[in-house]
Amino acid sequence: MFALYKKELQSFFYSPFAYVLAALFMFIFSISFVTSISDMTSNTLKFSFPNIFYNNFFYFIFIIPILTMRSFADERRGGTEVLLLTSPLSVTKIVLAKFLSIVTVFLFMMATTLFFPLYASISGQVMWSSLICVYIGFFLWGLVCIAAGMLLSSLTGNAIIAAILGEIVMEGLLFLDTFAGSALVQSYPKLNSIVSWFSMQRRFVYFSQGMFRLEDLIFFLSAAAVVVCWNIFSIEKRRWSHR
Amino acid sequence: MVEIKNLTKHYGRNVAVKNISFEIRDNEILGFLGPNGAGKSTTMNIIAGYLPSTEGTVTINGFDITEQASEAKKCIGYLPEIPPVYPDMRVEEYLKFVAGLKGVKRGEIPKQVEDSMERLHISDMRRRLIRNLSKGYKQRVGFAQALLGNPKLLILDEPTVGLDPAQVSEVRKLILDLKQDHSIIFSSHILAEVSAVCERVVIINKGEIKAIDTIAHLEESMTADTTLDLTADGETTKTVRILKDIRGVTNISEPEKISENRYHYRIELKDESVRNEIMSALVANQIGIVEMSMAKLSLEQVFLKVTANSGKKRSSLQDLLDETPESPENPYDAE
Repeated sequence: MFALYKKELQSFFYSPFAYVLAALFMFIFSISFVTSISDMTSNTLKFSFPNIFYNNFFYFIFIIPILTMRSFADERRGGTEVLLLTSPLSVTKIVLAKFLSIVTVFLFMMATTLFFPLYASISGQVMWSSLICVYIGFFLWGLVCIAAGMLLSSLTGNAIIAAILGEIVMEGLLFLDTFAGSALVQSYPKLNSIVSWFSMQRRFVYFSQGMFRLEDLIFFLSAAAVVVCWNIFSIEKRRWSHR
Repeated sequence: MVEIKNLTKHYGRNVAVKNISFEIRDNEILGFLGPNGAGKSTTMNIIAGYLPSTEGTVTINGFDITEQASEAKKCIGYLPEIPPVYPDMRVEEYLKFVAGLKGVKRGEIPKQVEDSMERLHISDMRRRLIRNLSKGYKQRVGFAQALLGNPKLLILDEPTVGLDPAQVSEVRKLILDLKQDHSIIFSSHILAEVSAVCERVVIINKGEIKAIDTIAHLEESMTADTTLDLTADGETTKTVRILKDIRGVTNISEPEKISENRYHYRIELKDESVRNEIMSALVANQIGIVEMSMAKLSLEQVFLKVTANSGKKRSSLQDLLDETPESPENPYDAE
């Protein structure tokens, strides 16, 4: 399992792939960082890192499908899926190794953003406790998105289609919150409570406000676990049915 | 070593493999022969554990491929039709990765990778990106990969496709060399190749086993007493008419023009005794016999005969040869 994990990481870091994505992410992050600082004088917005993170997630969520699109689609197209599935590794381990490698890249991308609070702490004060909290929330939401992106990649043999499907699903995940807040759903309290329970954005808000709720932690972790399991089953199912 | 029992595979409504059973013995090279689309790759994919079967079992070294997948897969080195290589990796890096994937101990990885590269003569290419390699070299990298972890069973799906003649003979030599400590199942649609390296062959067509026999038997079957090759002068209509009048002639092929007024016929007989009758009938009708001989069926013809028949599985090729094919023209191109 470690061999596959290592190989997957190498495929990200021995190519410009991970660096370009990290650079793109930092670029987006720095734009909101700079605009937030410049807006401070107008007093309309308070500067806070959690806020920046919150805003950035809406951009970041669209980078994730690019990160995950190749994971299974490329294996299938290149015929290397045979190599993995005929190796002594079980499908569960294959999926986990790939998942963990993408999570590692994700952590790397998150780590690059540490530059901003570190820089800010030189000339100002940073509330590290709330920042750590938002980092945790960011990480957890990312886990679910990565799992979803990988699942979509395993459903198709084409990386581009996997990426497009991924963007649609990410859009859908974001839309869930707006949907929950719509007048239509609000007029049905039961439906509203169900939809908002699934809305990840709402849960992320707590993290970005510096609130660490066990409920949210369990929600994100179990959502990621469910999607990863789904991924395992979908690969097994495709093997057992016709190709 | 390997036991395949009643293997069936459906793709939706299509049946790719129907009720196949055979075994691969220890240190044996088993040829797996069939035209394109016969179900060879599907069967090999099932044996290797890539695809599960719809019905039936595959047991490798005592381990069931679906029940004890991990143990069974440790005994397998698989070279699929398309070598499973990552274009973005370097040869040595790729082989090290595969060795790790197969659970080779860390300390043994460099040595095993070195050995397999040497065996396939790709040591000079170790630093090259796989994407920049030619088809033949990619195939060799794929082969080297199959050898890692010293698996007892090698499954080679058309290992010589895309290689030039010199490389083909090299690969053949390698396969014969590997026989010492491996069981090998080797698929091909090229007969000469199979007869060069295999002791036994399984012939498959349209998902069904048509014959399981040794090469020795196969070669024996190459001369068939009941088929005659005749080259004669004179009009074809006349000759055919004379031949048809003889009792015991079951089939006459389309005359094949050799030169002006000289034709070749292939005649199938009920039994050997008809030979003399043919001879005398032809002489009596003043047909100039240029040559008359017992037909030598080439391996290709044996193969085509076997695969063109839609009958049931036979125990030996001899049984098959005694039958006449249903269609005189074969849809498969012999290579």
